[in-house]
Amino acid sequence: MKRTGVFICHCGINIAGTVDVKKTAKDLSKHPGVVHSEEYVYMCSDPGQNLIIDAIKEKKLDNVVVACCSPTLHETTFRNTAKSAGINTFQCEIANIREQCSWVHKDMDKATEKAIKITKSAVERVRRNESLEPISIPVTRRALVIGGGIAGIQSALDMANSGFEVILVERSPSIGGHMIQLSETFPTLDCSQCILTPKMVEVSKHPKIKLMTYSEVQDISGYVGNFKVKILKKPTYVDPDKCTLCDECTKVCPVVVSNEFDIGLTGRRAIYIPFPQAIPATYTLDIKNCPGLLPIACGKCADVCEPEAIDYDMKPEIIEEEVGAIIVATGYDLYDKENLAEYGYGKYADVLDGLQFERLCSASGPTMGKVLRPSDHKEPKEVVFIQCAGSRDPELHCAYCSKICCMYTAKHAMLYKHHVHDGQAYIFYIDIRSGGKGYEEFVQRAVEEDSVLYLRGKVSKIFEEKGKIKVWGVDTLTGKDIEIDADMVVLATAMRPSKGAEELAKKLKIAMDKDGFLAEAHPKLRPVESVTSGLFLAGAAQAPKDIPEAVAQASGAAAKAIAILSQERLFHAPTVAKVNLNLCTGCEMCVHVCPYDAISLKDGKAEVNEVLCEGCGTCSATCLRAAIQVKNLTPLQVHEMIRTSLGG
Amino acid sequence: MVNLEDLKKEASAVLKDEKVKYVIGYQKSSNGLMPAPVFINKPEDVEKLIWNPTCIHNLTRFLTDERQRKIKEKHPDERPVGLIVKGCDSRALVVLLQEKLISREDVYIIGVSCENAGVVDEKKLAKKFKDKKIERIEFDEKDNIVVTTKDGKTKMAASEILAERCLECKANFPVIYDVLLGEKTKRQPENPFQSLEKIESLSEKERWDFWKEQLSKCIRCYACRSVCPMCYCDECVVDTINFAVTADTTAEEKAQKIKWLEKSPVLSENFVYHFIRAIHLAGRCIDCAECERVCPLDIPIRFLNKKLEKAAKELFDYDAGFDPDHPSLVASFRDEDPEDFIR
Amino acid sequence: MMAEEFEPKIVAFLCKWCSSAGSDLAGVSRMQYPPNVVPIQVMCSGSVSPLYILSAFNKGADGVLVSGCHPGDCHYIKGNYYARRRIALVKQLLEYIGLEPQRFQMSWVSAAEGTKYTEIIKDFVQELKPLGPQTKLRRAQ
Repeated sequence: MKRTGVFICHCGINIAGTVDVKKTAKDLSKHPGVVHSEEYVYMCSDPGQNLIIDAIKEKKLDNVVVACCSPTLHETTFRNTAKSAGINTFQCEIANIREQCSWVHKDMDKATEKAIKITKSAVERVRRNESLEPISIPVTRRALVIGGGIAGIQSALDMANSGFEVILVERSPSIGGHMIQLSETFPTLDCSQCILTPKMVEVSKHPKIKLMTYSEVQDISGYVGNFKVKILKKPTYVDPDKCTLCDECTKVCPVVVSNEFDIGLTGRRAIYIPFPQAIPATYTLDIKNCPGLLPIACGKCADVCEPEAIDYDMKPEIIEEEVGAIIVATGYDLYDKENLAEYGYGKYADVLDGLQFERLCSASGPTMGKVLRPSDHKEPKEVVFIQCAGSRDPELHCAYCSKICCMYTAKHAMLYKHHVHDGQAYIFYIDIRSGGKGYEEFVQRAVEEDSVLYLRGKVSKIFEEKGKIKVWGVDTLTGKDIEIDADMVVLATAMRPSKGAEELAKKLKIAMDKDGFLAEAHPKLRPVESVTSGLFLAGAAQAPKDIPEAVAQASGAAAKAIAILSQERLFHAPTVAKVNLNLCTGCEMCVHVCPYDAISLKDGKAEVNEVLCEGCGTCSATCLRAAIQVKNLTPLQVHEMIRTSLGG
Repeated sequence: MVNLEDLKKEASAVLKDEKVKYVIGYQKSSNGLMPAPVFINKPEDVEKLIWNPTCIHNLTRFLTDERQRKIKEKHPDERPVGLIVKGCDSRALVVLLQEKLISREDVYIIGVSCENAGVVDEKKLAKKFKDKKIERIEFDEKDNIVVTTKDGKTKMAASEILAERCLECKANFPVIYDVLLGEKTKRQPENPFQSLEKIESLSEKERWDFWKEQLSKCIRCYACRSVCPMCYCDECVVDTINFAVTADTTAEEKAQKIKWLEKSPVLSENFVYHFIRAIHLAGRCIDCAECERVCPLDIPIRFLNKKLEKAAKELFDYDAGFDPDHPSLVASFRDEDPEDFIR
Repeated sequence: MMAEEFEPKIVAFLCKWCSSAGSDLAGVSRMQYPPNVVPIQVMCSGSVSPLYILSAFNKGADGVLVSGCHPGDCHYIKGNYYARRRIALVKQLLEYIGLEPQRFQMSWVSAAEGTKYTEIIKDFVQELKPLGPQTKLRRAQ
């Protein structure tokens, strides 16, 4: 029989004041298997710990129980004590006789009786504990960032600057995300491209960053420290090293399609560069809109390409990479105008969303920075901005607030006024949310310096009439209905997770929240981690946010990833689930309930990935045949604890 | 009406084409009115098959042995087993598929519809006909049953001697099959839990007295467990004393065996056994009532499982045995699961 | 001579991260409650098997409590949702066979709810006293 030592702490009078520690020690000494039982005033002190060490050595103890305060305080202390005496850390268990006994009861007899039961219970448990060592896993010290917007760029740079190789995957032909489409950013009215392009160039030139644009993650397998990723590199049909950006190809391309960079306000050719400062600096042939290469239906672009950069024979490639940590920064898309029946289903040319308006304001945009109506290119004199278009509307659209719309609407109104000095800007709002640094002052500037008229109320309907957009709204502060014959309407639509994020989340097995954004591990304390170890979140993919928040979160995610990558090996708690193959029938109930997807089937039986398992025990309670159990808190141990707790 | 000749033809066809290892069905038994299961290997032996309202047995039970058989055989026959199933039996099959005990290719399902009837309750029969020897039982067209004894034929409404579960049946034709004999006449019971509600409506004390009386009779013969298709565990969790010791069993494994219950068939232990069994069958029991049929002490075991079937439906909108791809009751949850009982 | 008052024996399965922490908080705050409860700390309410509950009653518990994190707060993300479903089934069946419903309780107690834990224990003991010892599922000694 295993030899157990029991050590009862007085904790001064904290325990001894209500629990008869001498009686407890005496009672325990008679318990089967207990060969040593003593009490001492402060067990956690040096002399107290030495008592334990000496007893372990002299009495050749196999395991110990320390009856003292809550394990949250000293479990680690006493486990280390046990280790220094030469026994495994898991051969030490704590019996909480303070917070859950001596401090909450007054009757000494009853408190002592309970303390004895609690301690005996711990003895029955520790006697059946396995000796375990932390699980050590090797780490591939490279990272993957999915998404090349500002958050992806920032986290890639942070990790690369710390000396780790980073693979940055972006599905469009250039990095930059939505930030590169903006004209000026609040509250400083910085030129967006001016602050972003240096970072983009830094990414392209960084020796530690492997940039893969026009690429998509196809498949991910593995676990923290050891992910295997398959990336599809789509063919651009243009060699980036040869392309000189001479633009001769677009002049001869016969195809014109909607330009996604200008959100439909202009067209582009099938061979194109998304914007002049694209990184990588190369043109791309959009094979979906090209007349065809098999056989070559047109071929004009290759004919005029002097550096011979165009290569119709380029093939898609699947590239396999191994990484230790992954940051998901897939960003956002705006809620489709087509969903907004009250605002015209997106049919009216002069009703724009926020990003379209940014493109109008942008100096390198479709109208060279002039604010002009898309329908007739006239300057709008009355512009209505509608906030909360599709937001804060649980019945029909998005229930949540997208956070940035109040700020960028104020900005849009100010930019409009800066461009059209004699124009009038109206903003229909429900509330103004301007909580960041300098944000409140920014909104006040819009009102005071640019005479933007804020109307508190919703717009019930807009429609086109005689070349104008009629806006029917209400001003709740005066109680009056408002009717405006606007030349242009800008809708501040909700921020939604990026299109395709859901499929990627399923591949990565990251949970999404009720609105489709990637779910963080804990809303307060773990905002950049996903529930899956080694997978981190950054930017608008996790929730609507502005640029400084995206950057901060990106650096936070990078720091978390670096914590993994900076070690050669990771250590994981070994109190994990174990399968008894003789009893398992492969019903997969445990596979379904595991919150960490740590269980899979191998040869028809459950197999636990010890690195992913957190030892919660949900599988154990679900299994009808007790074929899976968590080490060191097995049903047998619980059975014995129940028995002893009831005086057995 | 399901024509027996069609059934024989179907069985014979698959045996002739050697599509299946054997066909499991019902045959006349050497002992009284109730049939016995039969394993038919040769096409000509399909003549043994019978089909009438006495075909109560849930033949799905035999599939749970198939897995072990395949493991033990050196050169296992990979062909599927041909199985004749009623609606309730097919739901048991679905649960086994759901839990991957068998795969769809392992079974060739010959489904037989109960149409507007079901199977008889032996006890009701005995009550009605007392000592008279029953020679034949058959359905006739208009929801009647014709019972032939030495004294002639008696016609009565099927509901008088049908098993209670048939009167509450949710699936009177197989929900999964390779071939279906009979009409897919769907009958929606007004109240699928009617028989249960009689017990539910008793007071707490009356309920305790009822179950105390019933479970005191239990001798822990485990017949209920043996006949249930869903009780296929190699080792029953409440009965770990009877575990298989092989050459590979380690001392640690032996020490890990938990004695949840005393073997003695006293009331408290009987309660715990039946309780755990009912909990383990939650969302899996499809009310074939075989457990009740084989109980030598006439304990109405069905009403334990039925209670949780009702709970599963009312609390979690869960019906066992209809969708093999649906996660099991206890391996899933909904955000709207009730928590009014939680403080 | 006063008859000795019946003192119910309660076994409480407390999840480590929420309910046991809430119980610790009650201790730190020196809240007082009757000593009838012996706590057993489990990692998650989702790991409480129906066997544990039945076994507790079988071994003579007069009351059993299962306590875990509030929905949405489970340290292991969703263990408590499975507990919620499983415990509902156990409760339904226990009541159905005629065990007094007050004997088996489940609660959500967060690490901040020391007061709530104290009230739960106090109320539980008070509710069990008039019921007397649990004899229906208890194994004869």
